[in-house]
Amino acid sequence: MRRPAIPLLVALLLALPAGTAAAQVRGVEVRVPRAFGYFLGDLVEAQADIAVDPGFTLQRASLPQPGPVTYWLDLRGVAVEAAPGRVRLRLTYQTFYAALDARQLTVPGFSVTLASETPGGITSAKAEIPGWSLGVSPLREVQPPARDDPTEYLRPDGRGGRLDPVPWLRAALACLALAALALAGLAYDRAWFGRSRRRPFARAARALRRLGRAGASGGEGGYREALRLVHRGLDETDGRRVLADDLPAFLDRHPAFRGEGAALARFFAASRRAFFGRDAAGASAAWPRPEVEASLRRLAAAERAA
Amino acid sequence: MTGSADAPIAPLRRAWRRARPSLLLVLPILLALAALGFGAAAWRAERTNRTIAALDAGEDAAVAPDAPVPLLVARVRFLAARDRLEETEPLVAALDRAAAPEAAARARYLVANARVRDAFARIARSDLDKAGPQVTLARQDYRRALRDRPDFWDAKFNLDVASRLIRDFPEFDRTSGDEMRAEPKQIWTDIPGQPRGGP
Repeated sequence: MRRPAIPLLVALLLALPAGTAAAQVRGVEVRVPRAFGYFLGDLVEAQADIAVDPGFTLQRASLPQPGPVTYWLDLRGVAVEAAPGRVRLRLTYQTFYAALDARQLTVPGFSVTLASETPGGITSAKAEIPGWSLGVSPLREVQPPARDDPTEYLRPDGRGGRLDPVPWLRAALACLALAALALAGLAYDRAWFGRSRRRPFARAARALRRLGRAGASGGEGGYREALRLVHRGLDETDGRRVLADDLPAFLDRHPAFRGEGAALARFFAASRRAFFGRDAAGASAAWPRPEVEASLRRLAAAERAA
Repeated sequence: MTGSADAPIAPLRRAWRRARPSLLLVLPILLALAALGFGAAAWRAERTNRTIAALDAGEDAAVAPDAPVPLLVARVRFLAARDRLEETEPLVAALDRAAAPEAAARARYLVANARVRDAFARIARSDLDKAGPQVTLARQDYRRALRDRPDFWDAKFNLDVASRLIRDFPEFDRTSGDEMRAEPKQIWTDIPGQPRGGP
Protein backbone atom coordinates (compact mmCIF):
# COMPACT_ATOMS: atom_id res chain seq x y z
CA MET A 1 0.00 0.00 0.00
CA ARG A 2 1.44 3.31 -1.05
CA ARG A 3 1.17 6.10 1.44
CA PRO A 4 -0.30 9.18 -0.12
CA ALA A 5 2.79 11.32 -0.07
CA ILE A 6 1.81 14.61 -1.57
CA PRO A 7 -0.68 16.74 0.31
CA LEU A 8 -2.07 18.20 -2.82
CA LEU A 9 -4.44 20.77 -1.53
CA VAL A 10 -5.07 21.97 1.92
CA ALA A 11 -8.30 23.83 2.04
CA LEU A 12 -9.23 25.45 5.27
CA LEU A 13 -12.86 26.16 5.07
CA LEU A 14 -12.83 29.74 6.19
CA ALA A 15 -15.39 30.69 3.62
CA LEU A 16 -18.20 28.93 5.43
CA PRO A 17 -20.94 31.36 6.39
CA ALA A 18 -21.31 31.04 10.12
CA GLY A 19 -18.56 30.85 12.67
CA THR A 20 -20.20 27.84 14.32
CA ALA A 21 -20.04 25.76 11.18
CA ALA A 22 -16.41 26.67 10.72
CA ALA A 23 -15.73 25.43 14.20
CA GLN A 24 -17.48 22.13 13.54
CA VAL A 25 -15.50 21.34 10.40
CA ARG A 26 -11.93 22.30 11.11
CA GLY A 27 -10.40 21.62 7.74
CA VAL A 28 -10.38 19.47 4.62
CA GLU A 29 -7.31 18.05 3.00
CA VAL A 30 -7.15 16.08 -0.25
CA ARG A 31 -4.18 13.81 -0.86
CA VAL A 32 -3.32 11.77 -3.94
CA PRO A 33 -0.36 9.38 -4.34
CA ARG A 34 0.66 11.36 -7.42
CA ALA A 35 -1.05 14.17 -9.27
CA PHE A 36 0.36 13.50 -12.74
CA GLY A 37 1.11 10.72 -15.18
CA TYR A 38 -2.31 9.12 -15.61
CA PHE A 39 -3.28 7.37 -18.84
CA LEU A 40 -6.82 6.84 -19.97
CA GLY A 41 -8.47 4.01 -18.12
CA ASP A 42 -6.20 4.38 -15.07
CA LEU A 43 -7.66 4.25 -11.60
CA VAL A 44 -7.01 7.38 -9.54
CA GLU A 45 -7.02 7.03 -5.79
CA ALA A 46 -7.66 10.11 -3.72
CA GLN A 47 -7.99 10.53 -0.01
CA ALA A 48 -9.95 13.34 1.60
CA ASP A 49 -9.41 13.96 5.30
CA ILE A 50 -12.05 16.03 7.02
CA ALA A 51 -11.07 17.24 10.48
CA VAL A 52 -14.22 17.63 12.56
CA ASP A 53 -15.22 18.42 16.13
CA PRO A 54 -15.78 15.32 18.26
CA GLY A 55 -19.26 13.90 17.95
CA PHE A 56 -19.71 14.70 14.29
CA THR A 57 -20.36 11.82 11.96
CA LEU A 58 -20.74 11.68 8.21
CA GLN A 59 -24.23 11.48 6.72
CA ARG A 60 -23.81 8.61 4.30
CA ALA A 61 -26.63 9.82 2.06
CA SER A 62 -24.68 12.99 1.29
CA LEU A 63 -21.78 11.05 -0.26
CA PRO A 64 -21.50 11.23 -4.05
CA GLN A 65 -22.91 8.20 -5.83
CA PRO A 66 -20.48 6.09 -7.87
CA GLY A 67 -20.99 6.82 -11.56
CA PRO A 68 -19.98 9.38 -14.15
CA VAL A 69 -18.70 12.65 -12.70
CA THR A 70 -17.84 14.36 -15.96
CA TYR A 71 -17.68 13.06 -19.51
CA TRP A 72 -14.10 11.89 -18.95
CA LEU A 73 -14.21 10.82 -15.31
CA ASP A 74 -16.08 8.10 -13.42
CA LEU A 75 -16.29 7.76 -9.67
CA ARG A 76 -15.79 4.06 -8.97
CA GLY A 77 -16.15 3.88 -5.23
CA VAL A 78 -16.19 5.76 -1.95
CA ALA A 79 -15.03 4.20 1.31
CA VAL A 80 -15.39 5.97 4.63
CA GLU A 81 -13.10 5.55 7.61
CA ALA A 82 -14.21 7.34 10.72
CA ALA A 83 -11.93 8.11 13.63
CA PRO A 84 -12.51 10.51 16.55
CA GLY A 85 -12.03 14.01 15.24
CA ARG A 86 -11.48 12.91 11.67
CA VAL A 87 -13.44 11.45 8.74
CA ARG A 88 -11.42 9.99 5.90
CA LEU A 89 -12.93 9.40 2.45
CA ARG A 90 -11.11 7.06 0.13
CA LEU A 91 -12.24 7.96 -3.39
CA THR A 92 -11.49 5.83 -6.42
CA TYR A 93 -11.90 7.53 -9.78
CA GLN A 94 -11.23 6.25 -13.26
CA THR A 95 -10.13 8.68 -15.94
CA PHE A 96 -11.09 8.17 -19.57
CA TYR A 97 -9.48 11.30 -20.94
CA ALA A 98 -7.80 10.48 -24.25
CA ALA A 99 -5.06 13.07 -23.98
CA LEU A 100 -3.14 14.37 -26.97
CA ASP A 101 -0.59 16.05 -24.74
CA ALA A 102 0.20 16.07 -21.04
CA ARG A 103 -2.25 18.43 -19.38
CA GLN A 104 -3.86 19.29 -16.09
CA LEU A 105 -7.56 18.65 -15.65
CA THR A 106 -9.73 19.62 -12.72
CA VAL A 107 -11.52 16.95 -10.79
CA PRO A 108 -14.67 18.65 -9.50
CA GLY A 109 -15.19 18.94 -5.78
CA PHE A 110 -18.33 18.09 -3.87
CA SER A 111 -19.79 18.67 -0.45
CA VAL A 112 -20.78 16.22 2.24
CA THR A 113 -22.95 16.71 5.31
CA LEU A 114 -21.79 15.94 8.83
CA ALA A 115 -24.14 15.77 11.79
CA SER A 116 -23.86 15.67 15.53
CA GLU A 117 -26.74 14.35 17.59
CA THR A 118 -27.07 15.97 20.99
CA PRO A 119 -29.95 15.93 23.45
CA GLY A 120 -30.81 19.41 22.27
CA GLY A 121 -31.23 18.33 18.65
CA ILE A 122 -29.19 17.57 15.58
CA THR A 123 -26.49 19.97 14.49
CA SER A 124 -25.40 19.57 10.92
CA ALA A 125 -22.48 21.05 9.07
CA LYS A 126 -21.34 20.98 5.47
CA ALA A 127 -17.81 20.14 4.44
CA GLU A 128 -16.69 21.23 0.99
CA ILE A 129 -14.25 18.82 -0.64
CA PRO A 130 -12.41 21.14 -3.02
CA GLY A 131 -11.74 20.31 -6.64
CA TRP A 132 -8.18 19.24 -7.39
CA SER A 133 -6.12 18.96 -10.49
CA LEU A 134 -5.04 15.77 -12.18
CA GLY A 135 -2.25 15.48 -14.73
CA VAL A 136 -3.12 13.18 -17.63
CA SER A 137 -0.62 11.97 -20.21
CA PRO A 138 -1.05 10.73 -23.78
CA LEU A 139 -0.64 7.05 -24.51
CA ARG A 140 0.48 7.49 -28.12
CA GLU A 141 2.26 10.02 -30.24
CA VAL A 142 0.09 12.78 -31.70
CA GLN A 143 0.79 11.67 -35.24
CA PRO A 144 1.65 7.99 -35.50
CA PRO A 145 3.69 6.87 -38.50
CA ALA A 146 1.48 6.49 -41.55
CA ARG A 147 0.20 3.00 -42.26
CA ASP A 148 -1.36 1.70 -45.45
CA ASP A 149 -4.03 -0.23 -43.64
CA PRO A 150 -5.64 1.92 -40.94
CA THR A 151 -6.54 -1.19 -38.89
CA GLU A 152 -2.82 -1.54 -38.18
CA TYR A 153 -3.20 1.38 -35.78
CA LEU A 154 -5.15 -0.97 -33.52
CA ARG A 155 -3.67 -3.41 -31.09
CA PRO A 156 -4.44 -6.99 -32.20
CA ASP A 157 -7.29 -9.05 -30.78
CA GLY A 158 -4.94 -11.32 -28.86
CA ARG A 159 -5.17 -15.00 -28.13
CA GLY A 160 -8.12 -16.48 -26.34
CA GLY A 161 -7.89 -18.48 -23.17
CA ARG A 162 -8.35 -22.21 -22.91
CA LEU A 163 -9.51 -24.39 -20.08
CA ASP A 164 -6.82 -26.33 -18.29
CA PRO A 165 -7.83 -29.98 -17.82
CA VAL A 166 -4.57 -30.95 -16.08
CA PRO A 167 -5.63 -30.01 -12.50
CA TRP A 168 -8.85 -32.01 -12.92
CA LEU A 169 -6.91 -34.95 -14.28
CA ARG A 170 -4.43 -34.75 -11.44
CA ALA A 171 -7.24 -34.64 -8.89
CA ALA A 172 -8.91 -37.62 -10.57
CA LEU A 173 -5.69 -39.64 -10.45
CA ALA A 174 -5.07 -38.70 -6.82
CA CYS A 175 -8.62 -39.76 -5.89
CA LEU A 176 -8.20 -42.99 -7.83
CA ALA A 177 -4.96 -43.77 -6.00
CA LEU A 178 -6.60 -42.99 -2.65
CA ALA A 179 -9.58 -45.15 -3.59
CA ALA A 180 -7.25 -48.05 -4.40
CA LEU A 181 -5.50 -47.51 -1.08
CA ALA A 182 -8.83 -47.46 0.76
CA LEU A 183 -9.89 -50.59 -1.09
CA ALA A 184 -6.68 -52.31 -0.03
CA GLY A 185 -7.38 -51.24 3.53
CA LEU A 186 -10.88 -52.67 3.30
CA ALA A 187 -9.56 -55.93 1.84
CA TYR A 188 -7.05 -56.18 4.67
CA ASP A 189 -9.67 -55.40 7.27
CA ARG A 190 -12.09 -57.98 5.93
CA ALA A 191 -9.25 -60.45 5.23
CA TRP A 192 -10.45 -61.04 1.67
CA PHE A 193 -7.17 -62.57 0.55
CA GLY A 194 -6.45 -65.21 3.16
CA ARG A 195 -4.83 -63.55 6.14
CA SER A 196 -7.39 -63.57 8.87
CA ARG A 197 -5.81 -61.03 11.23
CA ARG A 198 -6.88 -63.05 14.28
CA ARG A 199 -10.53 -63.00 13.33
CA PRO A 200 -11.77 -66.47 14.19
CA PHE A 201 -15.41 -65.82 13.26
CA ALA A 202 -14.47 -64.33 9.89
CA ARG A 203 -12.37 -67.41 9.23
CA ALA A 204 -15.19 -69.68 10.35
CA ALA A 205 -17.68 -67.87 8.11
CA ARG A 206 -15.33 -68.26 5.17
CA ALA A 207 -14.76 -71.93 5.93
CA LEU A 208 -18.52 -72.44 6.05
CA ARG A 209 -18.93 -70.76 2.67
CA ARG A 210 -16.18 -72.99 1.27
CA LEU A 211 -17.97 -75.99 2.72
CA GLY A 212 -21.17 -74.90 0.99
CA ARG A 213 -19.36 -74.46 -2.34
CA ALA A 214 -17.71 -77.88 -2.02
CA GLY A 215 -21.19 -79.40 -1.82
CA ALA A 216 -20.50 -80.91 1.60
CA SER A 217 -23.17 -78.87 3.31
CA GLY A 218 -25.99 -81.33 3.00
CA GLY A 219 -26.74 -84.01 5.52
CA GLU A 220 -25.99 -84.42 9.16
CA GLY A 221 -22.23 -84.51 8.71
CA GLY A 222 -22.29 -81.11 7.06
CA TYR A 223 -24.47 -79.64 9.77
CA ARG A 224 -22.20 -80.99 12.53
CA GLU A 225 -19.21 -79.56 10.70
CA ALA A 226 -20.93 -76.14 10.61
CA LEU A 227 -21.57 -76.30 14.35
CA ARG A 228 -17.96 -77.33 14.93
CA LEU A 229 -16.83 -74.24 13.02
CA VAL A 230 -18.89 -72.01 15.32
CA HIS A 231 -17.39 -73.80 18.34
CA ARG A 232 -13.91 -73.28 17.00
CA GLY A 233 -14.59 -69.60 16.41
CA LEU A 234 -15.83 -69.17 19.99
CA ASP A 235 -12.87 -71.07 21.43
CA GLU A 236 -10.31 -69.13 19.45
CA THR A 237 -11.94 -65.82 20.30
CA ASP A 238 -11.82 -66.58 24.00
CA GLY A 239 -8.51 -68.43 23.95
CA ARG A 240 -10.04 -71.33 25.89
CA ARG A 241 -12.79 -73.85 25.53
CA VAL A 242 -16.27 -72.26 25.72
CA LEU A 243 -19.18 -74.45 26.76
CA ALA A 244 -22.86 -73.61 27.15
CA ASP A 245 -22.46 -72.68 30.83
CA ASP A 246 -19.58 -70.33 30.04
CA LEU A 247 -21.74 -68.18 27.74
CA PRO A 248 -22.57 -65.36 30.24
CA ALA A 249 -18.91 -65.14 31.30
CA PHE A 250 -17.88 -65.12 27.60
CA LEU A 251 -20.29 -62.27 26.85
CA ASP A 252 -18.89 -60.35 29.83
CA ARG A 253 -15.37 -60.77 28.54
CA HIS A 254 -16.35 -59.91 24.95
CA PRO A 255 -19.13 -57.34 25.13
CA ALA A 256 -19.02 -56.84 21.37
CA PHE A 257 -20.93 -60.12 20.94
CA ARG A 258 -23.62 -59.30 23.47
CA GLY A 259 -26.07 -58.53 20.66
CA GLU A 260 -25.69 -62.09 19.46
CA GLY A 261 -26.31 -63.61 22.91
CA ALA A 262 -29.68 -65.07 21.96
CA ALA A 263 -28.31 -66.64 18.78
CA LEU A 264 -25.40 -68.11 20.72
CA ALA A 265 -27.78 -69.58 23.28
CA ARG A 266 -29.72 -71.25 20.46
CA PHE A 267 -26.45 -72.44 19.01
CA PHE A 268 -25.46 -74.12 22.28
CA ALA A 269 -28.87 -75.78 22.51
CA ALA A 270 -28.55 -77.09 18.96
CA SER A 271 -25.00 -78.20 19.60
CA ARG A 272 -26.07 -80.18 22.67
CA ARG A 273 -28.81 -81.92 20.67
CA ALA A 274 -26.54 -82.65 17.74
CA PHE A 275 -23.49 -83.91 19.58
CA PHE A 276 -24.78 -85.31 22.87
CA GLY A 277 -28.38 -86.11 21.95
CA ARG A 278 -27.25 -87.58 18.63
CA ASP A 279 -30.22 -85.78 17.03
CA ALA A 280 -28.65 -83.76 14.28
CA ALA A 281 -31.87 -83.65 12.29
CA GLY A 282 -33.80 -82.22 15.22
CA ALA A 283 -31.05 -79.76 15.93
CA SER A 284 -30.99 -78.55 12.36
CA ALA A 285 -34.76 -78.16 12.47
CA ALA A 286 -34.46 -76.02 15.61
CA TRP A 287 -31.59 -73.93 14.29
CA PRO A 288 -31.56 -74.33 10.50
CA ARG A 289 -28.42 -74.06 8.53
CA PRO A 290 -29.15 -70.72 6.79
CA GLU A 291 -29.48 -69.26 10.26
CA VAL A 292 -26.12 -70.74 11.20
CA GLU A 293 -24.59 -68.94 8.27
CA ALA A 294 -26.41 -65.69 9.02
CA SER A 295 -25.40 -65.82 12.68
CA LEU A 296 -21.80 -66.49 11.77
CA ARG A 297 -21.85 -63.53 9.38
CA ARG A 298 -23.25 -61.31 12.11
CA LEU A 299 -20.64 -62.60 14.55
CA ALA A 300 -17.91 -61.81 12.02
CA ALA A 301 -19.32 -58.30 11.60
CA ALA A 302 -19.43 -57.80 15.39
CA GLU A 303 -15.86 -59.06 15.52
CA ARG A 304 -14.78 -56.46 12.95
CA ALA A 305 -16.38 -53.74 15.04
CA ALA A 306 -14.77 -55.05 18.25
CA MET B 1 -1.95 -45.61 32.02
CA THR B 2 -4.60 -45.72 34.64
CA GLY B 3 -8.31 -46.28 34.32
CA SER B 4 -9.09 -42.64 35.05
CA ALA B 5 -7.00 -41.47 32.10
CA ASP B 6 -8.82 -43.88 29.82
CA ALA B 7 -12.26 -42.91 31.04
CA PRO B 8 -13.00 -39.92 28.77
CA ILE B 9 -11.56 -41.68 25.71
CA ALA B 10 -13.51 -44.90 26.21
CA PRO B 11 -16.83 -43.80 24.63
CA LEU B 12 -14.94 -42.29 21.72
CA ARG B 13 -13.01 -45.46 21.23
CA ARG B 14 -16.18 -47.48 21.33
CA ALA B 15 -17.85 -45.22 18.77
CA TRP B 16 -14.80 -45.47 16.54
CA ARG B 17 -14.84 -49.26 16.76
CA ARG B 18 -18.49 -49.36 15.86
CA ALA B 19 -18.11 -46.95 12.93
CA ARG B 20 -14.86 -48.33 11.55
CA PRO B 21 -16.17 -51.21 9.41
CA SER B 22 -18.78 -49.06 7.66
CA LEU B 23 -16.28 -46.21 7.25
CA LEU B 24 -13.83 -48.60 5.64
CA LEU B 25 -16.57 -49.72 3.27
CA VAL B 26 -17.80 -46.22 2.39
CA LEU B 27 -14.39 -44.61 1.91
CA PRO B 28 -13.30 -46.42 -1.29
CA ILE B 29 -16.75 -45.90 -2.82
CA LEU B 30 -16.70 -42.16 -2.11
CA LEU B 31 -13.16 -41.78 -3.38
CA ALA B 32 -13.98 -43.69 -6.55
CA LEU B 33 -17.01 -41.46 -7.14
CA ALA B 34 -14.85 -38.36 -6.60
CA ALA B 35 -12.28 -39.71 -9.07
CA LEU B 36 -15.09 -40.28 -11.57
CA GLY B 37 -16.35 -36.72 -11.09
CA PHE B 38 -12.91 -35.18 -11.56
CA GLY B 39 -12.32 -37.36 -14.60
CA ALA B 40 -15.61 -36.18 -16.11
CA ALA B 41 -14.61 -32.55 -15.45
CA ALA B 42 -11.26 -33.12 -17.16
CA TRP B 43 -13.00 -34.71 -20.12
CA ARG B 44 -15.45 -31.80 -20.39
CA ALA B 45 -12.56 -29.31 -20.28
CA GLU B 46 -10.80 -31.22 -23.06
CA ARG B 47 -13.96 -31.26 -25.16
CA THR B 48 -14.45 -27.51 -24.61
CA ASN B 49 -10.87 -26.89 -25.73
CA ARG B 50 -11.53 -28.87 -28.91
CA THR B 51 -14.59 -26.71 -29.64
CA ILE B 52 -12.54 -23.53 -29.02
CA ALA B 53 -9.87 -24.80 -31.42
CA ALA B 54 -12.56 -25.48 -34.04
CA LEU B 55 -14.01 -21.97 -33.63
CA ASP B 56 -10.54 -20.45 -33.92
CA ALA B 57 -9.98 -22.50 -37.08
CA GLY B 58 -13.13 -20.99 -38.57
CA GLU B 59 -15.66 -23.77 -38.04
CA ASP B 60 -18.85 -22.47 -36.50
CA ALA B 61 -20.27 -24.27 -33.50
CA ALA B 62 -23.36 -23.44 -31.50
CA VAL B 63 -22.56 -22.23 -28.00
CA ALA B 64 -25.12 -22.15 -25.22
CA PRO B 65 -25.21 -19.07 -22.97
CA ASP B 66 -24.25 -21.24 -19.97
CA ALA B 67 -21.15 -22.62 -21.70
CA PRO B 68 -17.71 -22.26 -20.07
CA VAL B 69 -16.31 -18.73 -20.13
CA PRO B 70 -13.39 -19.31 -22.57
CA LEU B 71 -15.81 -20.94 -25.02
CA LEU B 72 -18.12 -17.91 -24.89
CA VAL B 73 -15.15 -15.63 -25.59
CA ALA B 74 -14.05 -17.85 -28.50
CA ARG B 75 -17.53 -17.70 -29.99
CA VAL B 76 -17.59 -13.87 -29.62
CA ARG B 77 -14.23 -13.77 -31.40
CA PHE B 78 -15.62 -15.95 -34.19
CA LEU B 79 -18.74 -13.80 -34.62
CA ALA B 80 -16.86 -10.49 -34.36
CA ALA B 81 -14.44 -11.58 -37.08
CA ARG B 82 -17.42 -12.18 -39.36
CA ASP B 83 -19.34 -8.97 -38.66
CA ARG B 84 -22.15 -10.79 -36.89
CA LEU B 85 -22.08 -8.34 -34.02
CA GLU B 86 -25.77 -8.57 -33.06
CA GLU B 87 -25.29 -12.23 -32.19
CA THR B 88 -22.52 -11.39 -29.74
CA GLU B 89 -24.82 -9.42 -27.45
CA PRO B 90 -26.44 -12.38 -25.63
CA LEU B 91 -22.99 -13.96 -25.21
CA VAL B 92 -21.52 -10.81 -23.66
CA ALA B 93 -24.57 -10.57 -21.40
CA ALA B 94 -23.98 -14.22 -20.42
CA LEU B 95 -20.39 -13.36 -19.50
CA ASP B 96 -21.65 -10.52 -17.32
CA ARG B 97 -24.06 -12.91 -15.61
CA ALA B 98 -21.27 -15.46 -15.14
CA ALA B 99 -19.40 -12.85 -13.06
CA ALA B 100 -16.31 -13.20 -15.23
CA PRO B 101 -15.18 -9.56 -15.58
CA GLU B 102 -11.88 -10.47 -17.26
CA ALA B 103 -13.58 -12.51 -19.95
CA ALA B 104 -16.38 -9.97 -20.38
CA ALA B 105 -13.74 -7.25 -20.86
CA ARG B 106 -11.98 -9.40 -23.47
CA ALA B 107 -15.26 -10.04 -25.31
CA ARG B 108 -16.18 -6.33 -25.37
CA TYR B 109 -12.67 -5.54 -26.60
CA LEU B 110 -13.12 -8.01 -29.46
CA VAL B 111 -16.50 -6.54 -30.41
CA ALA B 112 -15.15 -2.99 -30.20
CA ASN B 113 -12.15 -3.89 -32.37
CA ALA B 114 -14.54 -5.30 -34.97
CA ARG B 115 -16.56 -2.07 -34.88
CA VAL B 116 -13.48 0.13 -35.30
CA ARG B 117 -12.28 -2.00 -38.23
CA ASP B 118 -15.71 -1.67 -39.77
CA ALA B 119 -15.58 2.09 -39.21
CA PHE B 120 -12.16 2.27 -40.91
CA ALA B 121 -13.56 0.39 -43.89
CA ARG B 122 -16.54 2.77 -44.08
CA ILE B 123 -14.32 5.83 -43.77
CA ALA B 124 -12.21 4.49 -46.64
CA ARG B 125 -15.46 4.31 -48.67
CA SER B 126 -16.43 7.81 -47.43
CA ASP B 127 -19.48 6.31 -45.72
CA LEU B 128 -19.07 8.63 -42.76
CA ASP B 129 -22.70 8.58 -41.61
CA LYS B 130 -22.51 4.95 -40.60
CA ALA B 131 -18.90 5.04 -39.43
CA GLY B 132 -19.68 7.54 -36.67
CA PRO B 133 -22.09 5.38 -34.66
CA GLN B 134 -19.75 2.40 -34.99
CA VAL B 135 -16.90 4.39 -33.43
CA THR B 136 -19.17 5.68 -30.68
CA LEU B 137 -20.35 2.16 -29.86
CA ALA B 138 -16.78 0.88 -29.95
CA ARG B 139 -15.71 3.58 -27.52
CA GLN B 140 -18.51 2.60 -25.15
CA ASP B 141 -17.41 -1.02 -25.32
CA TYR B 142 -13.76 -0.15 -24.69
CA ARG B 143 -14.78 2.02 -21.77
CA ARG B 144 -16.94 -0.72 -20.31
CA ALA B 145 -14.08 -3.22 -20.77
CA LEU B 146 -11.72 -0.86 -18.96
CA ARG B 147 -14.23 -0.46 -16.17
CA ASP B 148 -14.15 -4.24 -15.67
CA ARG B 149 -10.38 -4.44 -16.10
CA PRO B 150 -8.53 -1.14 -15.53
CA ASP B 151 -5.15 -2.66 -16.47
CA PHE B 152 -6.26 -3.85 -19.92
CA TRP B 153 -3.55 -2.03 -21.88
CA ASP B 154 -4.63 -3.13 -25.35
CA ALA B 155 -8.10 -1.72 -24.66
CA LYS B 156 -6.57 1.57 -23.47
CA PHE B 157 -4.55 1.81 -26.64
CA ASN B 158 -7.45 1.06 -28.94
CA LEU B 159 -9.75 3.39 -27.02
CA ASP B 160 -7.18 6.08 -27.67
CA VAL B 161 -7.23 5.22 -31.39
CA ALA B 162 -11.03 5.30 -31.47
CA SER B 163 -11.14 8.50 -29.40
CA ARG B 164 -9.11 10.30 -32.01
CA LEU B 165 -11.65 9.39 -34.66
CA ILE B 166 -14.41 11.08 -32.69
CA ARG B 167 -13.43 13.21 -29.76
CA ASP B 168 -15.45 13.94 -26.69
CA PHE B 169 -16.70 17.44 -26.35
CA PRO B 170 -17.11 18.95 -22.96
CA GLU B 171 -20.49 20.26 -21.95
CA PHE B 172 -19.78 23.95 -22.65
CA ASP B 173 -19.02 23.14 -26.27
CA ARG B 174 -22.17 21.20 -26.64
CA THR B 175 -24.40 23.90 -25.16
CA SER B 176 -22.81 26.83 -26.94
CA GLY B 177 -24.22 25.91 -30.31
CA ASP B 178 -24.65 23.23 -32.86
CA GLU B 179 -21.50 23.93 -34.74
CA MET B 180 -18.45 22.06 -33.60
CA ARG B 181 -14.90 23.14 -33.98
CA ALA B 182 -12.83 20.80 -36.06
CA GLU B 183 -9.16 20.63 -35.33
CA PRO B 184 -7.38 21.06 -38.64
CA LYS B 185 -4.54 18.68 -37.80
CA GLN B 186 -6.80 15.68 -37.38
CA ILE B 187 -7.20 13.59 -40.45
CA TRP B 188 -10.75 12.48 -39.70
CA THR B 189 -12.50 15.35 -38.14
CA ASP B 190 -15.63 15.20 -36.13
CA ILE B 191 -18.10 13.36 -38.18
CA PRO B 192 -21.40 14.79 -36.90
CA GLY B 193 -20.17 18.31 -37.66
CA GLN B 194 -22.68 20.60 -39.31
CA PRO B 195 -21.91 22.98 -42.12
CA ARG B 196 -21.71 26.58 -41.08
CA GLY B 197 -24.33 29.03 -42.07
CA GLY B 198 -27.94 29.51 -41.12
CA PRO B 199 -30.97 28.48 -43.12
